[in-house]
Amino acid sequence: MPLHAADALILRTYKLGEADRIVVFLTADRGKRRGVAKGARRTRSPFSGALEPMTRGRLAYFERERRELVRLRYVEPVCSPLASDSVEALAHVGYFAELIDEWAPEADPNEKLFRLGAAVVESLAAGLPVGPLARYFEFWLLRLQGVYPPVTACSRCGGDLSAGGRLEAGGGTLVCVQCAPPDEGGGLSAAAMAFLAAARAVAPLELGSVGLSAAADRELTRVHQRLIRTHLDKELKSLRVVQSLTRAPRGD
Amino acid sequence: MTELGPLQALVDQLQRLPGIGAKGAQRLAFHLLRQPRDDVEALVGAIRDVKERITYCSVCHNITDADPCYYCTHDGRDRSVICVVEDPHNVAAVERTKEFNGAYHVLMGALSPLQGVGPDELRIKSLLDRVGRGEVAEVILATNPNVEGEATAIYLAKLLKPLGVRVTRIAMGLPVGSDIEYADDVTIHKAMEGRRDL
Repeated sequence: MPLHAADALILRTYKLGEADRIVVFLTADRGKRRGVAKGARRTRSPFSGALEPMTRGRLAYFERERRELVRLRYVEPVCSPLASDSVEALAHVGYFAELIDEWAPEADPNEKLFRLGAAVVESLAAGLPVGPLARYFEFWLLRLQGVYPPVTACSRCGGDLSAGGRLEAGGGTLVCVQCAPPDEGGGLSAAAMAFLAAARAVAPLELGSVGLSAAADRELTRVHQRLIRTHLDKELKSLRVVQSLTRAPRGD
Repeated sequence: MTELGPLQALVDQLQRLPGIGAKGAQRLAFHLLRQPRDDVEALVGAIRDVKERITYCSVCHNITDADPCYYCTHDGRDRSVICVVEDPHNVAAVERTKEFNGAYHVLMGALSPLQGVGPDELRIKSLLDRVGRGEVAEVILATNPNVEGEATAIYLAKLLKPLGVRVTRIAMGLPVGSDIEYADDVTIHKAMEGRRDL
Protein backbone atom coordinates (compact mmCIF):
# COMPACT_ATOMS: atom_id res chain seq x y z
CA MET A 1 0.00 0.00 0.00
CA PRO A 2 2.34 2.80 -1.22
CA LEU A 3 2.10 6.35 0.13
CA HIS A 4 2.08 9.08 -2.52
CA ALA A 5 2.76 12.73 -1.73
CA ALA A 6 1.68 15.38 -4.23
CA ASP A 7 0.82 19.00 -4.80
CA ALA A 8 -2.94 19.11 -5.25
CA LEU A 9 -6.05 21.23 -5.60
CA ILE A 10 -9.15 20.20 -3.70
CA LEU A 11 -12.14 20.28 -6.06
CA ARG A 12 -15.11 19.15 -3.98
CA THR A 13 -16.14 16.86 -1.15
CA TYR A 14 -19.12 14.63 -0.39
CA LYS A 15 -20.27 13.48 3.04
CA LEU A 16 -19.54 9.84 3.78
CA GLY A 17 -21.07 8.09 6.78
CA GLU A 18 -21.09 9.88 10.13
CA ALA A 19 -17.76 11.70 10.11
CA ASP A 20 -15.89 11.07 6.86
CA ARG A 21 -15.71 12.77 3.49
CA ILE A 22 -15.01 11.65 -0.04
CA VAL A 23 -12.60 14.18 -1.53
CA VAL A 24 -12.16 14.87 -5.24
CA PHE A 25 -8.75 16.43 -5.90
CA LEU A 26 -6.49 17.26 -8.81
CA THR A 27 -2.85 16.32 -8.38
CA ALA A 28 -0.05 17.87 -10.38
CA ASP A 29 1.45 14.49 -11.33
CA ARG A 30 -1.38 11.96 -11.39
CA GLY A 31 -4.44 13.89 -12.49
CA LYS A 32 -7.83 13.81 -10.77
CA ARG A 33 -8.28 11.35 -7.91
CA ARG A 34 -10.95 10.50 -5.36
CA GLY A 35 -10.18 9.56 -1.80
CA VAL A 36 -11.62 9.11 1.67
CA ALA A 37 -10.66 11.55 4.42
CA LYS A 38 -11.46 9.68 7.63
CA GLY A 39 -12.94 11.82 10.39
CA ALA A 40 -12.85 14.95 8.20
CA ARG A 41 -16.18 16.22 9.52
CA ARG A 42 -15.09 16.16 13.16
CA THR A 43 -14.34 19.56 14.73
CA ARG A 44 -10.76 18.62 15.61
CA SER A 45 -10.04 16.75 12.42
CA PRO A 46 -6.46 17.15 11.15
CA PHE A 47 -8.02 18.04 7.78
CA SER A 48 -9.98 20.98 9.32
CA GLY A 49 -10.16 23.80 6.73
CA ALA A 50 -7.92 22.06 4.21
CA LEU A 51 -10.76 20.42 2.28
CA GLU A 52 -12.51 23.56 1.06
CA PRO A 53 -12.91 23.71 -2.75
CA MET A 54 -9.92 25.21 -4.62
CA THR A 55 -7.61 24.88 -1.62
CA ARG A 56 -4.12 24.27 -2.88
CA GLY A 57 -1.98 22.10 -0.68
CA ARG A 58 0.49 19.31 -0.21
CA LEU A 59 -1.26 16.03 0.45
CA ALA A 60 -0.42 12.38 0.91
CA TYR A 61 -2.55 9.36 0.18
CA PHE A 62 -2.41 5.59 0.27
CA GLU A 63 -3.36 3.75 -2.89
CA ARG A 64 -4.49 0.16 -3.00
CA GLU A 65 -4.62 -2.04 -6.06
CA ARG A 66 -8.00 -2.33 -7.80
CA ARG A 67 -9.50 0.28 -5.45
CA GLU A 68 -10.80 3.44 -7.09
CA LEU A 69 -10.84 5.39 -3.81
CA VAL A 70 -7.49 6.26 -2.24
CA ARG A 71 -7.16 7.03 1.47
CA LEU A 72 -6.02 10.53 2.36
CA ARG A 73 -3.36 10.65 5.07
CA TYR A 74 -3.04 14.44 5.42
CA VAL A 75 -3.56 17.73 3.57
CA GLU A 76 -1.36 20.71 4.38
CA PRO A 77 -2.99 23.82 2.85
CA VAL A 78 -0.64 26.21 1.07
CA CYS A 79 -3.20 28.65 -0.33
CA SER A 80 -6.87 28.85 0.58
CA PRO A 81 -9.75 30.73 -1.06
CA LEU A 82 -10.97 31.48 2.47
CA ALA A 83 -8.38 34.27 2.49
CA SER A 84 -10.71 36.13 0.13
CA ASP A 85 -13.40 38.35 1.61
CA SER A 86 -15.73 39.10 -1.29
CA VAL A 87 -18.91 37.17 -1.97
CA GLU A 88 -18.22 37.23 -5.73
CA ALA A 89 -14.80 35.64 -5.21
CA LEU A 90 -16.13 32.98 -2.82
CA ALA A 91 -19.01 32.17 -5.20
CA HIS A 92 -16.56 31.74 -8.08
CA VAL A 93 -14.57 29.23 -6.02
CA GLY A 94 -17.30 26.66 -6.64
CA TYR A 95 -17.52 27.66 -10.29
CA PHE A 96 -13.79 27.16 -10.88
CA ALA A 97 -13.84 23.86 -9.00
CA GLU A 98 -16.82 22.58 -10.99
CA LEU A 99 -15.20 23.56 -14.30
CA ILE A 100 -11.97 21.71 -13.46
CA ASP A 101 -13.92 18.73 -12.15
CA GLU A 102 -15.93 18.54 -15.37
CA TRP A 103 -12.94 18.86 -17.73
CA ALA A 104 -10.32 16.79 -15.92
CA PRO A 105 -10.60 13.07 -16.61
CA GLU A 106 -9.83 10.65 -13.75
CA ALA A 107 -6.16 9.71 -13.26
CA ASP A 108 -5.03 11.55 -16.40
CA PRO A 109 -2.10 13.82 -15.49
CA ASN A 110 -2.45 17.40 -16.73
CA GLU A 111 0.13 19.59 -15.07
CA LYS A 112 -0.87 22.69 -17.04
CA LEU A 113 -4.45 22.45 -15.80
CA PHE A 114 -3.18 22.04 -12.24
CA ARG A 115 -0.93 25.08 -12.61
CA LEU A 116 -3.83 27.11 -14.02
CA GLY A 117 -6.06 26.22 -11.06
CA ALA A 118 -3.27 26.89 -8.56
CA ALA A 119 -2.49 30.29 -10.10
CA VAL A 120 -6.15 31.26 -10.09
CA VAL A 121 -6.66 30.42 -6.42
CA GLU A 122 -3.49 32.37 -5.59
CA SER A 123 -4.87 35.37 -7.48
CA LEU A 124 -8.25 35.07 -5.71
CA ALA A 125 -6.51 35.02 -2.34
CA ALA A 126 -4.50 38.08 -3.40
CA GLY A 127 -7.75 39.96 -3.98
CA LEU A 128 -7.65 40.32 -7.77
CA PRO A 129 -10.96 41.37 -9.40
CA VAL A 130 -12.90 38.21 -9.99
CA GLY A 131 -14.51 39.14 -13.35
CA PRO A 132 -11.29 39.34 -15.40
CA LEU A 133 -9.90 36.36 -13.47
CA ALA A 134 -12.93 34.23 -14.36
CA ARG A 135 -12.70 35.16 -18.06
CA TYR A 136 -8.95 34.43 -17.96
CA PHE A 137 -9.58 31.06 -16.33
CA GLU A 138 -12.28 30.11 -18.86
CA PHE A 139 -10.08 31.22 -21.77
CA TRP A 140 -7.10 29.13 -20.64
CA LEU A 141 -9.17 26.14 -19.57
CA LEU A 142 -10.87 26.00 -22.97
CA ARG A 143 -7.54 26.59 -24.70
CA LEU A 144 -5.82 23.78 -22.80
CA GLN A 145 -8.68 21.47 -23.77
CA GLY A 146 -8.21 22.49 -27.41
CA VAL A 147 -11.69 23.94 -27.86
CA TYR A 148 -10.93 27.67 -27.95
CA PRO A 149 -10.72 28.83 -31.57
CA PRO A 150 -7.61 30.77 -32.71
CA VAL A 151 -7.95 34.39 -31.58
CA THR A 152 -5.41 36.15 -33.79
CA ALA A 153 -6.59 35.49 -37.37
CA CYS A 154 -9.99 35.09 -39.01
CA SER A 155 -10.60 31.43 -39.83
CA ARG A 156 -12.06 32.37 -43.23
CA CYS A 157 -9.95 35.17 -44.71
CA GLY A 158 -6.96 35.07 -42.35
CA GLY A 159 -7.48 38.75 -41.54
CA ASP A 160 -6.54 40.37 -38.24
CA LEU A 161 -9.10 39.90 -35.41
CA SER A 162 -7.88 42.75 -33.22
CA ALA A 163 -10.72 45.01 -34.44
CA GLY A 164 -13.29 42.46 -33.28
CA GLY A 165 -14.68 39.09 -34.24
CA ARG A 166 -17.62 36.77 -34.01
CA LEU A 167 -17.95 33.16 -32.88
CA GLU A 168 -19.63 31.19 -35.66
CA ALA A 169 -22.87 29.38 -34.97
CA GLY A 170 -21.20 25.95 -34.69
CA GLY A 171 -18.91 27.39 -32.01
CA GLY A 172 -15.75 26.11 -33.66
CA THR A 173 -14.22 29.21 -35.23
CA LEU A 174 -13.81 32.95 -34.81
CA VAL A 175 -14.30 35.09 -37.90
CA CYS A 176 -13.62 38.75 -38.52
CA VAL A 177 -16.31 41.44 -38.74
CA GLN A 178 -16.20 41.43 -42.58
CA CYS A 179 -16.70 37.64 -42.83
CA ALA A 180 -19.24 37.37 -39.99
CA PRO A 181 -22.84 36.60 -40.91
CA PRO A 182 -25.12 39.48 -39.84
CA ASP A 183 -26.12 39.40 -36.16
CA GLU A 184 -25.78 35.75 -35.20
CA GLY A 185 -24.67 36.58 -31.67
CA GLY A 186 -21.27 35.68 -30.21
CA GLY A 187 -19.74 39.01 -31.11
CA LEU A 188 -16.47 40.13 -29.54
CA SER A 189 -15.48 43.80 -29.63
CA ALA A 190 -11.96 45.16 -30.03
CA ALA A 191 -11.79 45.56 -26.23
CA ALA A 192 -12.66 41.89 -25.69
CA MET A 193 -10.08 40.81 -28.29
CA ALA A 194 -7.48 43.03 -26.58
CA PHE A 195 -8.19 41.27 -23.28
CA LEU A 196 -7.74 37.87 -24.92
CA ALA A 197 -4.47 39.01 -26.47
CA ALA A 198 -3.25 40.15 -23.04
CA ALA A 199 -4.52 36.97 -21.37
CA ARG A 200 -2.32 34.90 -23.72
CA ALA A 201 0.77 36.69 -22.46
CA VAL A 202 0.38 37.42 -18.75
CA ALA A 203 0.11 35.36 -15.57
CA PRO A 204 -3.16 35.70 -13.63
CA LEU A 205 -1.45 37.67 -10.85
CA GLU A 206 -0.64 40.36 -13.44
CA LEU A 207 -4.29 40.69 -14.52
CA GLY A 208 -4.68 43.76 -12.32
CA SER A 209 -2.92 45.78 -14.99
CA VAL A 210 -5.16 44.45 -17.81
CA GLY A 211 -8.38 46.36 -18.24
CA LEU A 212 -11.72 44.66 -18.93
CA SER A 213 -14.78 46.84 -19.39
CA ALA A 214 -18.19 45.62 -18.23
CA ALA A 215 -19.36 45.37 -21.87
CA ALA A 216 -16.31 43.31 -22.93
CA ASP A 217 -16.76 41.12 -19.84
CA ARG A 218 -20.38 40.40 -20.90
CA GLU A 219 -19.31 39.56 -24.48
CA LEU A 220 -16.59 37.17 -23.30
CA THR A 221 -18.95 35.59 -20.76
CA ARG A 222 -21.51 34.89 -23.52
CA VAL A 223 -18.92 33.39 -25.88
CA HIS A 224 -17.23 31.31 -23.16
CA GLN A 225 -20.52 29.97 -21.82
CA ARG A 226 -21.53 29.01 -25.36
CA LEU A 227 -18.26 27.11 -25.82
CA ILE A 228 -18.58 25.43 -22.40
CA ARG A 229 -22.22 24.44 -23.03
CA THR A 230 -21.43 23.08 -26.48
CA HIS A 231 -18.56 20.93 -25.28
CA LEU A 232 -19.93 19.76 -21.92
CA ASP A 233 -23.43 19.39 -23.34
CA LYS A 234 -24.95 20.76 -20.13
CA GLU A 235 -25.26 23.84 -17.93
CA LEU A 236 -22.99 24.11 -14.92
CA LYS A 237 -24.84 24.04 -11.57
CA SER A 238 -22.62 26.73 -10.11
CA LEU A 239 -23.14 29.17 -13.00
CA ARG A 240 -26.77 29.90 -12.07
CA VAL A 241 -25.74 30.66 -8.48
CA VAL A 242 -22.82 32.88 -9.54
CA GLN A 243 -25.19 34.82 -11.82
CA SER A 244 -27.92 35.09 -9.18
CA LEU A 245 -25.50 36.60 -6.66
CA THR A 246 -25.23 39.65 -8.85
CA ARG A 247 -29.02 40.12 -8.86
CA ALA A 248 -31.20 41.61 -6.10
CA PRO A 249 -32.29 38.84 -3.68
CA ARG A 250 -35.78 37.45 -3.70
CA GLY A 251 -35.44 34.71 -1.00
CA ASP A 252 -38.16 32.44 0.39
CA MET B 1 -42.18 -13.04 0.31
CA THR B 2 -40.52 -15.50 2.73
CA GLU B 3 -41.58 -15.87 6.36
CA LEU B 4 -38.74 -13.45 7.29
CA GLY B 5 -40.11 -10.85 4.90
CA PRO B 6 -41.24 -8.35 7.59
CA LEU B 7 -37.82 -8.55 9.27
CA GLN B 8 -36.05 -7.99 5.96
CA ALA B 9 -38.37 -5.03 5.24
CA LEU B 10 -37.38 -3.51 8.62
CA VAL B 11 -33.66 -4.06 7.87
CA ASP B 12 -34.12 -2.40 4.48
CA GLN B 13 -35.84 0.63 6.04
CA LEU B 14 -33.25 1.01 8.82
CA GLN B 15 -30.46 0.80 6.29
CA ARG B 16 -31.81 3.92 4.63
CA LEU B 17 -30.99 5.95 7.75
CA PRO B 18 -27.77 7.99 7.70
CA GLY B 19 -24.75 6.22 9.16
CA ILE B 20 -26.50 2.82 9.28
CA GLY B 21 -24.95 0.07 7.20
CA ALA B 22 -26.23 -3.42 6.43
CA LYS B 23 -24.82 -5.01 9.61
CA GLY B 24 -25.94 -2.15 11.84
CA ALA B 25 -29.45 -2.31 10.37
CA GLN B 26 -29.62 -6.04 11.02
CA ARG B 27 -28.41 -5.58 14.61
CA LEU B 28 -31.05 -2.88 15.24
CA ALA B 29 -33.79 -5.00 13.67
CA PHE B 30 -32.99 -7.98 15.91
CA HIS B 31 -32.79 -5.65 18.91
CA LEU B 32 -36.28 -4.33 18.15
CA LEU B 33 -37.54 -7.89 17.72
CA ARG B 34 -36.37 -8.72 21.23
CA GLN B 35 -37.94 -5.61 22.84
CA PRO B 36 -41.32 -5.66 24.63
CA ARG B 37 -44.23 -4.72 22.38
CA ASP B 38 -44.90 -1.51 24.39
CA ASP B 39 -41.37 -0.21 23.83
CA VAL B 40 -41.62 -0.78 20.10
CA GLU B 41 -45.07 0.87 20.01
CA ALA B 42 -43.58 3.88 21.85
CA LEU B 43 -40.82 4.14 19.24
CA VAL B 44 -43.28 3.88 16.36
CA GLY B 45 -45.49 6.52 18.04
CA ALA B 46 -42.54 8.87 18.52
CA ILE B 47 -41.55 8.56 14.86
CA ARG B 48 -45.14 9.16 13.75
CA ASP B 49 -45.46 12.18 16.11
CA VAL B 50 -42.33 13.76 14.70
CA LYS B 51 -43.74 13.60 11.18
CA GLU B 52 -47.23 14.72 12.18
CA ARG B 53 -46.55 17.41 14.81
CA ILE B 54 -43.19 18.95 13.98
CA THR B 55 -43.38 21.82 11.56
CA TYR B 56 -41.35 24.91 10.68
CA CYS B 57 -41.78 28.20 12.55
CA SER B 58 -43.32 30.76 10.23
CA VAL B 59 -41.10 33.50 11.73
CA CYS B 60 -37.62 32.00 12.11
CA HIS B 61 -37.99 28.70 10.13
CA ASN B 62 -36.68 26.63 13.04
CA ILE B 63 -38.38 23.28 13.66
CA THR B 64 -41.17 23.50 16.24
CA ASP B 65 -44.31 21.79 17.48
CA ALA B 66 -46.06 25.15 17.96
CA ASP B 67 -46.02 27.97 15.42
CA PRO B 68 -44.51 30.52 16.15
CA CYS B 69 -41.80 28.65 18.04
CA TYR B 70 -40.62 29.00 21.65
CA TYR B 71 -37.71 31.31 20.73
CA CYS B 72 -40.00 33.67 18.82
CA THR B 73 -42.67 33.91 21.55
CA HIS B 74 -41.06 33.46 24.99
CA ASP B 75 -40.94 36.71 27.01
CA GLY B 76 -37.51 35.88 28.40
CA ARG B 77 -35.84 35.99 24.96
CA ASP B 78 -34.29 39.20 23.65
CA ARG B 79 -35.77 39.54 20.17
CA SER B 80 -33.66 42.58 19.34
CA VAL B 81 -30.75 40.21 18.65
CA ILE B 82 -31.08 37.60 15.90
CA CYS B 83 -28.61 34.77 15.46
CA VAL B 84 -28.61 33.56 11.84
CA VAL B 85 -27.74 29.88 11.37
CA GLU B 86 -27.77 27.49 8.41
CA ASP B 87 -29.81 24.59 9.79
CA PRO B 88 -32.18 23.82 12.69
CA HIS B 89 -29.59 21.61 14.40
CA ASN B 90 -27.29 24.66 14.61
CA VAL B 91 -29.89 26.25 16.91
CA ALA B 92 -29.53 23.31 19.29
CA ALA B 93 -25.73 23.71 19.22
CA VAL B 94 -25.90 27.42 20.13
CA GLU B 95 -28.53 26.75 22.81
CA ARG B 96 -26.26 24.16 24.47
CA THR B 97 -23.83 26.96 25.38
CA LYS B 98 -26.51 28.83 27.41
CA GLU B 99 -24.66 32.02 26.38
CA PHE B 100 -27.21 33.34 23.91
CA ASN B 101 -30.64 34.61 24.89
CA GLY B 102 -31.82 36.16 21.64
CA ALA B 103 -33.92 34.97 18.71
CA TYR B 104 -32.89 32.87 15.73
CA HIS B 105 -33.28 32.81 11.99
CA VAL B 106 -32.68 29.56 10.12
CA LEU B 107 -31.64 30.00 6.49
CA MET B 108 -32.21 26.33 5.62
CA GLY B 109 -28.81 26.05 3.98
CA ALA B 110 -25.95 28.19 2.71
CA LEU B 111 -24.96 29.59 -0.66
CA SER B 112 -23.41 26.64 -2.47
CA PRO B 113 -22.55 27.04 -6.15
CA LEU B 114 -21.41 23.41 -6.36
CA GLN B 115 -24.82 22.22 -5.10
CA GLY B 116 -26.69 24.81 -7.16
CA VAL B 117 -27.99 26.58 -4.02
CA GLY B 118 -28.34 30.32 -4.59
CA PRO B 119 -29.97 33.18 -2.64
CA ASP B 120 -33.41 32.26 -3.97
CA GLU B 121 -33.25 28.87 -2.26
CA LEU B 122 -32.52 30.35 1.19
CA ARG B 123 -34.83 32.07 3.70
CA ILE B 124 -33.29 35.48 3.15
CA LYS B 125 -36.30 37.62 2.30
CA SER B 126 -38.06 36.80 5.59
CA LEU B 127 -34.86 37.77 7.48
CA LEU B 128 -34.78 41.12 5.69
CA ASP B 129 -38.48 41.61 6.47
CA ARG B 130 -37.87 40.90 10.19
CA VAL B 131 -34.97 43.32 10.37
CA GLY B 132 -36.80 45.88 8.23
CA ARG B 133 -39.57 46.17 10.83
CA GLY B 134 -37.06 48.09 12.96
CA GLU B 135 -37.17 46.03 16.17
CA VAL B 136 -33.79 44.38 15.63
CA ALA B 137 -30.56 45.97 16.90
CA GLU B 138 -28.04 43.26 16.02
CA VAL B 139 -27.79 40.33 13.64
CA ILE B 140 -25.16 37.69 14.46
CA LEU B 141 -24.10 35.72 11.40
CA ALA B 142 -23.36 32.21 12.68
CA THR B 143 -23.02 30.35 9.40
CA ASN B 144 -20.35 27.65 9.17
CA PRO B 145 -16.68 28.73 8.90
CA ASN B 146 -16.19 27.33 5.40
CA VAL B 147 -16.33 28.77 1.87
CA GLU B 148 -20.11 28.37 1.64
CA GLY B 149 -20.82 29.78 5.11
CA GLU B 150 -18.40 32.64 4.62
CA ALA B 151 -19.93 33.56 1.23
CA THR B 152 -23.39 33.49 2.82
CA ALA B 153 -22.29 35.69 5.71
CA ILE B 154 -20.67 38.29 3.45
CA TYR B 155 -23.71 38.29 1.16
CA LEU B 156 -26.10 38.78 4.10
CA ALA B 157 -23.92 41.52 5.60
CA LYS B 158 -24.16 43.45 2.31
CA LEU B 159 -27.96 43.26 2.44
CA LEU B 160 -28.36 43.93 6.17
CA LYS B 161 -25.99 46.86 6.72
CA PRO B 162 -28.07 49.34 4.68
CA LEU B 163 -31.00 48.56 7.03
CA GLY B 164 -29.08 50.28 9.84
CA VAL B 165 -28.60 47.21 12.01
CA ARG B 166 -25.38 46.08 13.70
CA VAL B 167 -24.05 43.02 11.82
CA THR B 168 -21.53 40.75 13.55
CA ARG B 169 -19.84 37.48 12.54
CA ILE B 170 -19.00 34.70 15.00
CA ALA B 171 -15.26 34.36 15.65
CA MET B 172 -13.17 31.92 13.65
CA GLY B 173 -9.90 30.41 14.71
CA LEU B 174 -8.30 27.96 17.09
CA PRO B 175 -10.47 25.50 19.00
CA VAL B 176 -10.20 25.63 22.81
CA GLY B 177 -7.59 23.17 24.09
CA SER B 178 -5.71 22.97 20.79
CA ASP B 179 -2.08 23.85 20.05
CA ILE B 180 -1.02 26.70 17.74
CA GLU B 181 1.90 24.60 16.53
CA TYR B 182 -0.46 22.12 14.88
CA ALA B 183 -2.94 24.61 13.44
CA ASP B 184 -2.95 25.22 9.69
CA ASP B 185 -2.10 28.60 8.13
CA VAL B 186 -5.69 29.52 7.25
CA THR B 187 -6.90 28.91 10.79
CA ILE B 188 -4.09 30.96 12.32
CA HIS B 189 -4.72 33.72 9.75
CA LYS B 190 -8.42 33.83 10.68
CA ALA B 191 -7.60 33.73 14.40
CA MET B 192 -5.20 36.69 14.04
CA GLU B 193 -7.76 38.56 11.95
CA GLY B 194 -10.44 38.06 14.62
CA ARG B 195 -8.23 38.95 17.62
CA ARG B 196 -9.76 41.10 20.35
CA ASP B 197 -8.60 43.54 23.02
CA LEU B 198 -8.09 42.22 26.54
